[in-house]
Amino acid sequence: MPVVELSYSRLQKLIGKASKKQISESLPFLGLDIESEDKDLVRIEYSPNRPDYSTDFGIALGMQGLLGLKTGAIKLNIKKSKQYAISVKSDVAKIRPFVTGIVAKNGKIDDKIIKQLMAMQEDLHFGIGRKRKKSSIGIHDLDKIVFPLTYKTTDRNHKFIPLNSEKELSISQILETTDVGKDYGNLLANSKKMPLIVDANQYTVSFPPIINAAVTTVTTKTKNLFVEVTGINKADAEDMLSVVATILQSAGFSLESVQISGSQNSSPKLEPKKMKVNPILVNQILGLNLNPAKIISSLKKSRLDAIKKGKEIECTIPAYRFDIFGPMDLVEEVALGYGIQNLEPQLSPSQTIGQTNSISQNLKSLSNIMVGLGYLEALNSSLTSKRVLYEMANREDSQTISVQDSKSQEHTILRDSILPGLLENLSRNIHESYPQKLFETGSVFSLENPITEKTNLSCVSVHKDANFTEIKSVLNSLLKIGTGKEIETVAEEHSVFEKGHSATIKFENKKIGIIGEINEKIKENYKIRDPVIGFEISLSDSILKSF
Amino acid sequence: MSQVFHEIEKKIITSLKETSKQTPENLEKSTNLSPDQIRRGIEWLKLKDLAIVAESKTSLLSLGKNGIEAFEKGLPERRLLDALKDGPKKLAELQKQLGPIFGPAMGLARKNEWVEASSEQISLGKIPSELPGEKILKNIGTNKISKDQINENELSGLLKRPDFIVEEIVKTKEISLTTSAKSIELSESSGAIDVEAKVPEVFVARTHPLKDTIDEIREIFVTLGFSEIIGNMTQSSFWNFDALFTPQDHPARELQDTFYLDKISAKKIGNPEQIKKVSESHKKNWRYQWDINEARKMVLRTHTTCVTIKHLAENKPDEARVFSLGRVFRNEKVSYKHLVEFNQIEGVVVGKNATLRDLMGIQREFYKRIGITKIKFWPTFFPYTEPSLQTMVYNDRLGKWVELFGMGIFRPEVTKPLGITKPVLAWGGGIERIAMLKYGLDDVREFYNNNLDWLRSATKCQ
Repeated sequence: MPVVELSYSRLQKLIGKASKKQISESLPFLGLDIESEDKDLVRIEYSPNRPDYSTDFGIALGMQGLLGLKTGAIKLNIKKSKQYAISVKSDVAKIRPFVTGIVAKNGKIDDKIIKQLMAMQEDLHFGIGRKRKKSSIGIHDLDKIVFPLTYKTTDRNHKFIPLNSEKELSISQILETTDVGKDYGNLLANSKKMPLIVDANQYTVSFPPIINAAVTTVTTKTKNLFVEVTGINKADAEDMLSVVATILQSAGFSLESVQISGSQNSSPKLEPKKMKVNPILVNQILGLNLNPAKIISSLKKSRLDAIKKGKEIECTIPAYRFDIFGPMDLVEEVALGYGIQNLEPQLSPSQTIGQTNSISQNLKSLSNIMVGLGYLEALNSSLTSKRVLYEMANREDSQTISVQDSKSQEHTILRDSILPGLLENLSRNIHESYPQKLFETGSVFSLENPITEKTNLSCVSVHKDANFTEIKSVLNSLLKIGTGKEIETVAEEHSVFEKGHSATIKFENKKIGIIGEINEKIKENYKIRDPVIGFEISLSDSILKSF
Repeated sequence: MSQVFHEIEKKIITSLKETSKQTPENLEKSTNLSPDQIRRGIEWLKLKDLAIVAESKTSLLSLGKNGIEAFEKGLPERRLLDALKDGPKKLAELQKQLGPIFGPAMGLARKNEWVEASSEQISLGKIPSELPGEKILKNIGTNKISKDQINENELSGLLKRPDFIVEEIVKTKEISLTTSAKSIELSESSGAIDVEAKVPEVFVARTHPLKDTIDEIREIFVTLGFSEIIGNMTQSSFWNFDALFTPQDHPARELQDTFYLDKISAKKIGNPEQIKKVSESHKKNWRYQWDINEARKMVLRTHTTCVTIKHLAENKPDEARVFSLGRVFRNEKVSYKHLVEFNQIEGVVVGKNATLRDLMGIQREFYKRIGITKIKFWPTFFPYTEPSLQTMVYNDRLGKWVELFGMGIFRPEVTKPLGITKPVLAWGGGIERIAMLKYGLDDVREFYNNNLDWLRSATKCQ
């Protein structure tokens, strides 16, 4: 979840008439988790579906609604202007076909606002921009640009001074030497031509989705902004623009439109959408009995507009609330406006009779018998390492099932056997008192169709008098109590066991596992002095069922 | 009389009643116990205030080299007198007979007038029946004798003679009974054992504490009318993500959070109708090119919700309460807070009248049964539920609110494509977190360390 750092005093100024305590107690009910607080500073975790909460301006809008200070939808006041235009050349269609934009004038920009805008931009890029693939944003100093602009393509030799650089770099150099170039260059890897926005004098404004030109950098001296968004579809680009426009308007800027034309592009409208919700659905889902007026006032507290239309309620949803897909999302908005703390939990009688899964039941009975036989239950990860599974346990690694790019070396392949893990457990307990007896039940994996998961049981015992007879007795008693039948052990070498002290377990003429005295080499690997004995069996459905 | 005595204690008390002060060596002989048993018995009695151990220093005397010779052959002066028994003898003759002892013996005998000497010969004078020192020699003999048992005047003569007497200082212990011990009637306590004494530890065999918590949680939901379903840990991306309305380009699906199985894809992921409808829902709502090959990629399930959604898609019940409980995986760095593999419970209620308040009620009841009463609900976000909530529970030990289960109602974008028509309430969360509260652990890794010391002693604290 993304995190934003805010100050209570700034929030108070933006919200108006709210105490610090009131704000701090209400934040969670907007769906914002307080991660940490330090006097005036507060770090807040917000949901990726609400990028408007990436700035204090957006949070203030939500908080005003929740506290009932200002309710209803935020309307964008965009002054129609013919001064600003972008024309799109058809050759961008194959690379990054769409561009959209807006102008924001006469705002006050300080360091804190710049910081908030940067954070919002990063979050939009990561979340709805899908790491700039779907859409990406550029915010510029309007007064450094001569309109009209052209969105076109260029080749990799094109040069300009990019943001944070003092000298001209070619596009190839930018992609090869700058951090953003290396991080996002892959988005353009399939194309010879590169997308570019240039102004009326052919000066570079932006090289989307990688970097802006240095000349348009926003500073505390900037008064007027130009925002452009490029992307692979129009709707996503306009969604992103609507968030920025809403935030800039609440930050005190006046918005003016940008005309966009050419190659399937058109000027953005950023208009709210209408959606109906039935009060019956609201009450059915929430388990409440709210009248339409209460539903409407709750929706308004969630900063939407709503009016009664026949039996239904028609909502007006601002463009930046593109997280609202359908009526069910409106039900949630009602719940938030109504206040989650006002929903009383209720325990309705169950219409069904509960049942434990038979496999869980049988495994539990089997575990109880193992405990009765003196064995302590161990738990190991099913995602383990080659070292534990094969190298230390003296086993052949056959067809391993690996995961990609694990962050932990100890967790790279799925286990095909439980016994090696138990041996590793013993090695970590050599300083504890003996005898030590461990068992574990769990899943093992094999490469069939495409992967088959089976349940195994393994156990180990170590003490100075441990021998084959003891472990066979344990196995025999266990299966006899479960199934009423005897097992057979047939002499056969297995690499984990000592030669001549190793057998295959047969049950009803089927091979179900292995048993024996653990190989000296493994004991040496793990520095275990006393004899170790153990077995592992596959718990087929028919065996498991009998427990 | 509440006191109970060990067999060793009884033997020592009996012996000390007969002979009041004894050294440990004496007690060994009188009781037939080993030195170690005597040592322990005395310790126990001392702790119970029944025995006094008096330590003292004693001077012990034994014979030196010349003393032993005198003990065996007689004192030099005695040997001189014996040589004159049959009549006077010439000086030279005596000198030859007695060797080096003649000088000192002659000096002493003449001083005490036991002999008379003329120029020609030496003859006996007045002889006492016992010479000074002879009694002491006999008393000491080959033993060690305490100095205070011997007449000091007599001893002083012998002490002056070189290498006759060896004196050593030793520490001795003497055990005696206290007054209260003297009144003990041993017959009264015979047959009883010391039930208050400490005992050695035995280690139990037991099921794993985390498994116990899992069983407890399973049982609570079964009694609330839920049936358990189980499913594979390896799943296709289709059921783990696509069926749950998580777009294919969503950051949560990326390699850094999810374990994708290397070079393994599912052949069959669902029926054609399911695949068609799910892909249409993605294309329409998320506006991207849905790719079936992405849906085929096998993953280690990131939640157990894939098991329940598959169950609902296959059975389309109008009314149901089911839950799934098992291991889930996240590609994270292991820390005291995070494991790559942990247990999750996830349940659903399907019913035409199921409401969000019912979902909250089930949560509250569950927490009550595991002993947590201070809870509250906060709104949150999950891609596949709407509305979505999370439970916060108050932990007294940590003194703060801790996030536990998440919950919500499956989005229509999830249920409709799969042909599920009734509302589905869903909830779930990690079990280790609850078990950590129960066992007072601060490090989640302890559950999988298989540290015998912990497994043998872990106790519930809540």
